[in-house]
Amino acid sequence: MTTVLAPVEGAAVGLAAVPDPVFSAGMVGPGTAIDPSRGPGEAVAPITGKIMKLHPHAYVIVGDDGRGVLVHLGIDTVQLKGRGFRLLAAEGDRVSAGQPVVAWDPTEIEAGGRSPVCPVVALDALDSAVTALAEGTVRAGDELFQWT
Amino acid sequence: MGERKATVAAEVGLHARPAATFVQMAMKAPMDVTVARSSGGDPINGKSILQIMALDVRKGEEIVIRAEGDGSEEILDRLADIASTP
Repeated sequence: MTTVLAPVEGAAVGLAAVPDPVFSAGMVGPGTAIDPSRGPGEAVAPITGKIMKLHPHAYVIVGDDGRGVLVHLGIDTVQLKGRGFRLLAAEGDRVSAGQPVVAWDPTEIEAGGRSPVCPVVALDALDSAVTALAEGTVRAGDELFQWT
Repeated sequence: MGERKATVAAEVGLHARPAATFVQMAMKAPMDVTVARSSGGDPINGKSILQIMALDVRKGEEIVIRAEGDGSEEILDRLADIASTP
């Protein structure tokens, strides 16, 4: 079982609240989403493992058991080409759960007309494998869901 | 073994929406589906969004999709369509 931590502080709102059908329909995988607290913040690693992919707006951490968790910082943020994001780690780095990976400011994302909502997705997981979803206020590093 | 080549046309490469759409279609196939860069490298499991993301195919890169068995030709056509959709 994998305990997946909240990568950012905010409100756990569920994938259905993500304004992008690819995430809200669970096409990328099961999980939840966090509407982040506004203002400068750091997005942390949801699990311990290796940073398999690191984009300014999204990253995937793969644990020792091969399970990958995707964190997407805002919706359509690939279009920003890294503006407003600062990397605090490098692709290939090994990180501990809760370790900062990207610095960003959801206020800026929102000011640019995009949703700062952050999907947190268990990749290649069955819907039924994700349980104990947190609801409401979470702080970065709090337990967000269990991946059984 | 059946195969199709496709040049990835989405601005973001084979990530996000195109990757999710691709994997959803591949999951419908009863047989194994693999994806590799045409330029070489090990094929990965086309039903794994994690492996597709790890392959990190960019816009303009060509991939080769392989599958074998009943219905594989149709699946390959549809997967090649998804990969080459802007």
